[in-house]
Amino acid sequence: MAYQTVKARKSLKLRVLPWLSLTAVILIWQFCVSPPGVNDWRIPGVLLARPYDVLLLGIEKLTDVNPDGATLLVHAWVSLQESLSAFLLSLLVGIPLGLMMGWFGVVRGLFRPVFEMWRPIPPVAWIPLAIFWFGIGMEGKIFIIWLGGMTPCIINAYMGVKTTNPVHIQMARTFGASDWKIFTSICIPSALPMVFGALQIALGNCWTTLVAAELLASDQGLGYLITAGRSIGRTDIVVLGMISLGITGVIISQIIYRIEAKLLAGIRR
Amino acid sequence: MEQSAASNAKIEVRNLTKKFGDLLVLDRINFNIKKGELVAIVGPTGCGKTTFLNCMSKLTDTTDGDIFIDGVPADPVKHNLAFVFQEPTALPWRTVAQNVVYGMEVKGVPEKERAERLEYILNLVGLKDTADLYPNQVSASMMQRIAVARAFAVNPDLLLMDEPYGQLDVKLRFYLEDELVKLWQTLNSTVLFITHNIEEAVYVAERILVLTPKPTKVRAEVIVDLPRPRNFLDPRFVEIRRQVTELIRWW
Repeated sequence: MAYQTVKARKSLKLRVLPWLSLTAVILIWQFCVSPPGVNDWRIPGVLLARPYDVLLLGIEKLTDVNPDGATLLVHAWVSLQESLSAFLLSLLVGIPLGLMMGWFGVVRGLFRPVFEMWRPIPPVAWIPLAIFWFGIGMEGKIFIIWLGGMTPCIINAYMGVKTTNPVHIQMARTFGASDWKIFTSICIPSALPMVFGALQIALGNCWTTLVAAELLASDQGLGYLITAGRSIGRTDIVVLGMISLGITGVIISQIIYRIEAKLLAGIRR
Repeated sequence: MEQSAASNAKIEVRNLTKKFGDLLVLDRINFNIKKGELVAIVGPTGCGKTTFLNCMSKLTDTTDGDIFIDGVPADPVKHNLAFVFQEPTALPWRTVAQNVVYGMEVKGVPEKERAERLEYILNLVGLKDTADLYPNQVSASMMQRIAVARAFAVNPDLLLMDEPYGQLDVKLRFYLEDELVKLWQTLNSTVLFITHNIEEAVYVAERILVLTPKPTKVRAEVIVDLPRPRNFLDPRFVEIRRQVTELIRWW
């Protein structure tokens, strides 16, 4: 008899609840903010834009470059390029480094002291140096965002290897596996859940650092859109920039989640 | 190449000694195992059975003495050693089949031979239907069968088993003991089986080595020359079990 894999379906309640809470937040927000020109007990429109106004502005900004000099898609595209380049660079450097620090004593000895000193410095503290080194172009922003994404990649990959089940390592050793074979066939797969955790945290860090990095004399990007909205006193532009950041972040994190589900089929619950 | 004193034994253990600081755990243990023999080791709790097996598998360095396989000092890289642990060791990110193949991968068995051996062993241990499932989708007994199949699949020079069925209930243990005997007979492997369960030792082994409390030595050797399949109620079975119990009892 062949064994069948039965897929458990989420109950209707669990599928509906997130949409319900989101709709409730939007409705309450819409109700609690006064429309433009109305002065009542509610939050004045100059302090917070209503979601409906933000939606209208979002549709308008798909084609209109005013008042901040670019359409919404151009802002989003610039931010995506900056943050995704920095995010990928963080993964490419941070994860292999963290994995190797976890297993090879020499790599740990070489990099750990430098990492421990560099880790507490907030990425935004590097902004002046980044301007000296890279000017005010995209490279400087990528550098700042990259620094923000590196820390979780290194720490999680390192801890992932460190928490490898010792019995798995012993099992491989009794078969005569080399250190490198144990690293690649036991430690790395065993660290994957922590590494995917790092991807999510690094992504969050990259988006957070993006706004700070776009303070580097940008003229495009979602972070710039927010600062442009602030400088001309338009809360709808500020909120539109914030929501665009949120939606883009959710889309990327969903992509990571799906890749994780495929790769970690045996480990995830 | 170092040559040991004895000659026709597959495995020779010579003066195996292990100390942790001043604590002498294993005290000059000597014995031989013939090719294709299934030897059980029993001893009182805390006598150092697992330390002994770790030394045998070279997971732990010995303080003195050595283990020879075909006259050559045992080396996990040169020899086919395999170890079945008490704890589940199936790798959760690999399917059942990928787990069984792991030892062969490490040993560099050619791909074609690997596939043939895999199919043969999966059929032999009844894991064929679950080959594509992940360990978290199979039962505890299947997890242990994965480990046993993985160990037998490398055609080991010496298979070490550390109370492999200690965490399973009685019914499953009987079933898996029968399966172990079948595998051992079919594949003619050399097996060293550690257990604290005297009945299990008498049921599976051809010879039982009884260890003393620490510092551990081999107290006695009991030959189990009963026909197979063995019957727990056979008066000779009961007599051997009583004899082994007398040898290890400390109360």
